[in-house]
Parts: sequence; structure tokens; C-alpha cells
Amino acid sequence: MSVRRLTRAAVLTAVALVIFIIELQIPTLVPVPGVKLGLANIVTVFSMFLLGPADTAAILVCRILLGSMFSGQMMSLLYSMSGGLLCYLVMLLMRNIVTYRQIWVCSVVGAIAHNIGQIAVAILVTNTPALLAYLPVLMVSGIIAGLFTGFCAQFAVTKLKGLSDEMERQNGRKK
Amino acid sequence: MLKTRTWVIILAAVLICAVGLSFWTLGRKADGTVANVYQDGVCIRSVDLSRVTESERIVIEGAGGTNTILVEPGRICIEAADCPDQVCVNTGWISDSAAPIVCLPHRLVIRIEGGAESDGAPDALSQ
Repeated sequence: MSVRRLTRAAVLTAVALVIFIIELQIPTLVPVPGVKLGLANIVTVFSMFLLGPADTAAILVCRILLGSMFSGQMMSLLYSMSGGLLCYLVMLLMRNIVTYRQIWVCSVVGAIAHNIGQIAVAILVTNTPALLAYLPVLMVSGIIAGLFTGFCAQFAVTKLKGLSDEMERQNGRKK
Repeated sequence: MLKTRTWVIILAAVLICAVGLSFWTLGRKADGTVANVYQDGVCIRSVDLSRVTESERIVIEGAGGTNTILVEPGRICIEAADCPDQVCVNTGWISDSAAPIVCLPHRLVIRIEGGAESDGAPDALSQ
């Protein structure tokens, strides 16, 4: 792993972590477990398209682990991790079937996957299938939040396209 | 590669279905008046809300922290919790809805159901 690549991943992890911590200060709008904006997902989507799957996985796992520690929400680690990983896997698939102008679609589908993963683990952990009642609300919130974060990520990717071309050239040279 | 318009139609369809389902699931009524308190999936307390005559506080201590449940005639809520997200407190009172009060960090769920699901003897409140 080159120093440049490591630094890039570390900077993006720090950015994601700061966004995550700031978002925690926003009070929950809807009293449904799992509803949130998920602003840190901007970084995940961004790096998924510009840095590739391996770096994104590292950034995501580091952000979730550090985020849980810094915010003192270790009990929520399980939910964040399961949601985050399902979101990652789905976005990994989506990455291959959307164009650079459809990055927001990838984000929306990822957000839905995140909420499904979260509620699935919540049902398993609390042994309460009735939690399924909250899934439709979570999907609505996931679509809206995913749209917002998706357009943010797409904007960032478009603006940094020059940088990304340079990154891809370097990745290509390395291989 | 699907066209952007196709994606918009797919996502809009999912959104409309989800909104419809939301109203349906959140509007559903519980088939009973017994509030069961579950911790880690095990029913630890049952209260028949229709027989409650005066309000009472129940403090539930768990591995994650403490939740203070407030019971009043016909309704129940979580009054206070030391979890970071406070989702369970913000849910407020429930009386006959099928949607449960959930405290995910403390793995605590309160559901309104037809009867007590407790394996042990029902406590004084439910008799």
C-alpha cells in the first residue's frame, strides 16, 4: 500500500468521522429507531466511486468503529456495523451498473439496504418481529436521506473528477 | 446500464409503496391492552393497561443502562433513559398501537398485546 493511498484513506476516514460526530448533535426528528440522515455515507459513496472497494471497506469499518467509541454508543455498534456492511455490499453491486451521473441512485439503494440490515439485526437481537412495523418508515427515510447524501456525493465526485482521473492514472500505473 | 428515468420510476414506486405501508403499519391497532416489557427478547414485566388505576414508575436496569417506564391508566411510555439517542423517550405514550416502543441500545421493547407472555407468575399489576 502506497503512502499516498494510505493518506488518502486516512483523510477520508477523518472527514467521515467528523461528519458522523457532528450529525450526532442533530436531535432525532422522528421517534423511530434507526432514522437518521447518514451524512457520513457521503464519504462512503464518494470513495466507492473514486477510490475503489478495498479502500472504501477500510474507511467504512474504521469510521464505524471509531465513531462508536468516540460517541460512547458501543451498544449501537452492532446495528451500525450490520447496516453499514449490507449497505457496502449493495453499493458494491450498484457501482457496476450505474454511470457517474447516477451515483445518487447507488446512494439511495445503499441507504435502503442499510436500514434493512439494521432492522434485521434489531429483530434478531431483541427477538421482536414486531419491529418490522418500522421498516416502511425506515425505507421512506432511507430514500430521502439517500437522495440527499447521494447528490452531495455525486456533486463532490463531479467536482473532483480531475483529481479522480489522476488517481485512476496512478492506480492504473501501479497495476 | 439503466436510464436515469428508469431509476427514478423504480425508486418513486418503492417510495410510494413504503409511504402506503408506513401508514398501514403505524396505524394498526394492537389486539389487546396488556403492555409487555421485553429485555433481550424475554418478557420481564406485564401490565394490563385497562386495569391500571393510578400511575406508577417502573425502573428497568439492564446491561446497557436504565430505562424509567411510566404507566398510567390506559397508556404507557418510557419517561427517561440514559441511552444516547433517546428514541424510546421521544416515542412518547402508546396505548393501543401495534408499533412497539423500542430502546435499541438497551435492547428493551414494550409491546401492547392480547395477554401476558411472561413465563413466570404475573406480577401484582396484571392481576
